[in-house]
Amino acid sequence: MLQAPGGAVGSSTRMRCMYMFNRQGVCLHYHVWLRPVSVLSRQEDQKLMFGLLFSLKLFTAKMDPVGGSKGQLGAAQLQGQGCSFHSFQTNTYKLSFMETPTGLKIVLVTDSKMSDLREALKYIYSNIYVEYVVKNPLYTPDTPFKCELFNQNLDNYVKTLS
Amino acid sequence: MPPNSRPGDAVFASVDRVNAELFTLTYGAIVRQLLTDFEEVDEVNKQLDTMGYNIGIRLIDDFLAKANITRCSDFRETAETIVKVGFKMFLGVTGTVANWNTDNTECSLILDDNPLVDFVELPETCQGLYYCNILCGVIRGALEMVSMRTEVKFVKDVLRGDDVFEIRLKLLEQVPEEYPYKDDE
Amino acid sequence: MAREVAESCIDSINLELVHTYATRLHPTKPELAARRIEAIGFQVGLQLAERYTKERPRFGDHLEAIKFICKDFWAEVFKKQIDNLKTNHRGVFVLQDNRFRWLTRFSLDAPTSGNGTSSSEANQANSARASQAAGQYLYFPCGLIRGALTNFGVPCAVSAEVSALPACSFIVRIKG
Repeated sequence: MLQAPGGAVGSSTRMRCMYMFNRQGVCLHYHVWLRPVSVLSRQEDQKLMFGLLFSLKLFTAKMDPVGGSKGQLGAAQLQGQGCSFHSFQTNTYKLSFMETPTGLKIVLVTDSKMSDLREALKYIYSNIYVEYVVKNPLYTPDTPFKCELFNQNLDNYVKTLS
Repeated sequence: MPPNSRPGDAVFASVDRVNAELFTLTYGAIVRQLLTDFEEVDEVNKQLDTMGYNIGIRLIDDFLAKANITRCSDFRETAETIVKVGFKMFLGVTGTVANWNTDNTECSLILDDNPLVDFVELPETCQGLYYCNILCGVIRGALEMVSMRTEVKFVKDVLRGDDVFEIRLKLLEQVPEEYPYKDDE
Repeated sequence: MAREVAESCIDSINLELVHTYATRLHPTKPELAARRIEAIGFQVGLQLAERYTKERPRFGDHLEAIKFICKDFWAEVFKKQIDNLKTNHRGVFVLQDNRFRWLTRFSLDAPTSGNGTSSSEANQANSARASQAAGQYLYFPCGLIRGALTNFGVPCAVSAEVSALPACSFIVRIKG
């Protein structure tokens, strides 16, 4: 099995970075494990990522052969309307995505050989984000966060992913 | 899901639970303190609603995570989910939905009983108080986070001599998801 | 069987109680907010103590009452006992909880520094801020203890200290 250079077995060598966006497209959290190349400013990078997710979601719903939406492409959708994608892969990376009914979008970028992360995304939402961010009395809902307990638990958890 | 199963039971069994006494007494003490702080009963109703709203906007994520709910197909299903899963998961009681209007935007959530009112008797001086008004705020806050603007208010209250608790829930607007940035930004 | 609710209900109401009094109603009067929150805890403590001791004889002395708080009362409310009890034998008792249930989810933002490494200084400043913020959430349990002891006929004052989250100590000073 290929390991990223310098990565120890058992550490999160497959992980690249993670984004969390709220409904309004605000990046609540950005987490980086390995990202040697980033050419854009942090802000531009996050805005592009959000745009990518937003458009891809609209396109996938529009092209749905079974439950396709009738509206114009780009017409505003209600939360939870239409189908959605859960991952895509290029020859260099894989992007895994989940959205909750509250409009929280969680994106994990990994190496391209990463397995299905749908359960992992759910775990991160339910057992790490909800427990250590939402239930943290010092957190103001819907604002960016860098909670230490969240970071620790996330780092420990992604070590188990392969 | 078969219509007769009790989806909330399994969720309630799976969450961390505590003896309701501490919760009931704490809530009672807060209402009592608010009644001392504000002379107007209406203002106390408003404060309880605001507290509930602030709780609801956080509690929705706890609810979605634990109850493992990914979406509700329409407002009817949303209302059913609140009384069958939401009330059960947090308060251990199940309610029913009734009195839909013709365009399915308004209904009543009915509860026979709820742990907030154990050991509570309202004194004469509290006429006009909706003791459990915090619940309206919680529902309003939680639904707002899933893009539904609602109006939520008590219309019947056992503590006022009614036979049940009845919360009137009205959907004002479902807010669509729009791209938040302008193209030229 | 006794009625149960989700623990989230207790967590939510505690959080919002502090938010309401300390941030919304009395943002510029922290002492007033503290008194109000403590008073609510006191009420609850009085009533809980009444319920928990219905079946047992009155306490012989102060120490016995304090021990009841550390064991039975704490176990009922927080599902664990106080970890350490100290006294100066002159009416001051220190009740230490190494993992106080209501502080376990407190977490401040990780300190950010330019080069990505966190200095121990920043860490210290951070934990000081966390302890300060956590203090607001201890007025209620201070009131709980004072209310319970008052019900047992032990007049006292109760304060709290946060050392390293989620540990904290409650200091009971018996009056008279």
